[in-house]
Amino acid sequence: MGKQMVMSVMSKDRPGIVADITGVIYQLQGDLADLNQSVLCDYFTMILIATFDDSVTPEDVVAGFSHIRSETKLEVVVKEMDTPMEVAKAKRVKETYILTAQGKNKSGLVHRIGLFCYQHGINILDLATTLSGDQYTMILQLDLSRVTSVDTIRTSLTHYAEESGLTVVLQHEDIFKATSEISLF
Amino acid sequence: MLRSDHILATVEMIQKENLDVRAVTMGINLLDCRGGDVRETCRRVEEKIGTVAAHFVTTCDQVSQKYGIPVVNKRISVTPIAFVGAGFDRHGFVELALALDRAATAVGVDILGGFSAQVEKGMTATDREYIASIPEALARTEKICASINIASSQKGINMDALALIGQTVKDLAEITKEQSGFGAAKFVVFCNQPGDNPFMAGAIHGLEEADLVLNVGVSGPGVIARALERLIHTKGRDNLGLDDIAEEIKQTTFRVTRCGELIGRQVSKEMGIEFGVVDLSLAPTPTVGDSVGEILQILGVDVVGAPGSTAILAMLNDAVKKGGIFASKAVGGLSGAFIPVMEDAVLAEAVGSGALCLEKLEAMTCVCSVGLDMIPVPGSVDADTISAIIADEMALGMINNKTTAVRLIPVPGKEAGELVSFGGLFGASPIMPVRNVGKSRRFIAWGGRIPAPLHSFKN
Repeated sequence: MGKQMVMSVMSKDRPGIVADITGVIYQLQGDLADLNQSVLCDYFTMILIATFDDSVTPEDVVAGFSHIRSETKLEVVVKEMDTPMEVAKAKRVKETYILTAQGKNKSGLVHRIGLFCYQHGINILDLATTLSGDQYTMILQLDLSRVTSVDTIRTSLTHYAEESGLTVVLQHEDIFKATSEISLF
Repeated sequence: MLRSDHILATVEMIQKENLDVRAVTMGINLLDCRGGDVRETCRRVEEKIGTVAAHFVTTCDQVSQKYGIPVVNKRISVTPIAFVGAGFDRHGFVELALALDRAATAVGVDILGGFSAQVEKGMTATDREYIASIPEALARTEKICASINIASSQKGINMDALALIGQTVKDLAEITKEQSGFGAAKFVVFCNQPGDNPFMAGAIHGLEEADLVLNVGVSGPGVIARALERLIHTKGRDNLGLDDIAEEIKQTTFRVTRCGELIGRQVSKEMGIEFGVVDLSLAPTPTVGDSVGEILQILGVDVVGAPGSTAILAMLNDAVKKGGIFASKAVGGLSGAFIPVMEDAVLAEAVGSGALCLEKLEAMTCVCSVGLDMIPVPGSVDADTISAIIADEMALGMINNKTTAVRLIPVPGKEAGELVSFGGLFGASPIMPVRNVGKSRRFIAWGGRIPAPLHSFKN
């Protein structure tokens, strides 16, 4: 199945970055399997997975990126994947929960919620935060598959909410799908 | 992909607006429980309910915990009992009620409905025995609710049954006078009674239904009220029209209904029984902030009962249906805004201040569900007047092809304006005055039937 590599790219945002990055992979005859990109405060970041011929090395890919001519510098990390996988058949988490935490902004909020998740064996699949005035909102998509009792987590969260002064709500993802999407489960 | 603003809007609805699923009701067919005598039938009824509903309450609780949305009431509805007890006398029906009560207690449900009969065209000897058993059956049980369908758009109104029912309501109140006539709060009279309604006291498992089915009643009016307040606060009253208000009600109802459908389908999947319908009714509770009357006030009448109340209710009722019907695979039951006086603090207050009278309530029931519901009236009101009030409400349902119902409580020894309280979900209210008492006797004395109406030439 060739050589599977994972690539991470960061740059100041500008038009044309996606075309440049994918152009390098195309020229090396790589097969792009999946990617995820995000822009935050004018900075662009992307993570990609692609399969190349066995003769292509991570160094070749980095060299390809370094030949891109632009005013913004691309920071690139390329690694060969330890255990290659078929992206189309990759295991998705069966069911996830959404945790929202809102409160007055102060330092350490994300760290503390991250620590809470770690201590309870919860994996964070996605995390987005917004600051509006002095109100900080964190929305986390969580994998609770290693958790034996959601009830215990809810109890712990109630204590966590009291200690941190945050308003914390944990709901199954299906609730949000049901209330926000047209198609019926 | 889930969007942050959608997530936060839903969180707001769940947390601040107390979103819940109001009722999950399991319908159980009891026709196959008929035995050779009363005792054997009672045994089979208890056995069947105990078997099929053994894990009903725990399953509801588990699903509720998984999704973080409370299921407030877990209930059972059964085949109208007059069919199950065909040939029994009144004592046999009381025994059946006691058996149902034991079964409901054993499986841990809040209420069991279906101590019922369908007599819209004529009464059998069994039906008469059933009717005669109602006061004792409800007085001696805790969890049993009774209902009777005495009219329909297809068959007209059974006035012989109606005359008996006025007296039954009086007897029910009298036999439970130590509890201010509470027995009458567990008995409701219908026109066009649906067989898949999850709400009490009128839930039955209709003859047209499968062996087992699960129906869901969605959250109360509090969610709609808070959504409207937020819209008016955000956009400003001057920038909104009633069409904007109707749109907000639709969208809120869509989200509320989806939650109900999700929970209901999950419970039904876990139990391996068929999912029936979502009932889109706005059912108030006596809790402050969970009132249909409050929505009317938010939408522009200072007191419920003021001119405009009927028009607002019509718009509310329609918008709720439009939002809910699109959200659910199958809608049924009563599906409309309820205006039960004792269960709605704002309506009860309007009765106390004299703003809301029986005639205005009757007019309002033309455009909403479900009828003259949970209205305490003076104990001195005679049986014929109660029958005649029921007849008027039945006529509204019959002519307009809708479900209407009456649940009056003639409170023994109390007069208009005095307060009566049943506590809990049944609520409290000042007693509503009834005008023109004792002036309908000759009408009720006719008996017979009001023939089925025309279904064309609708003016």
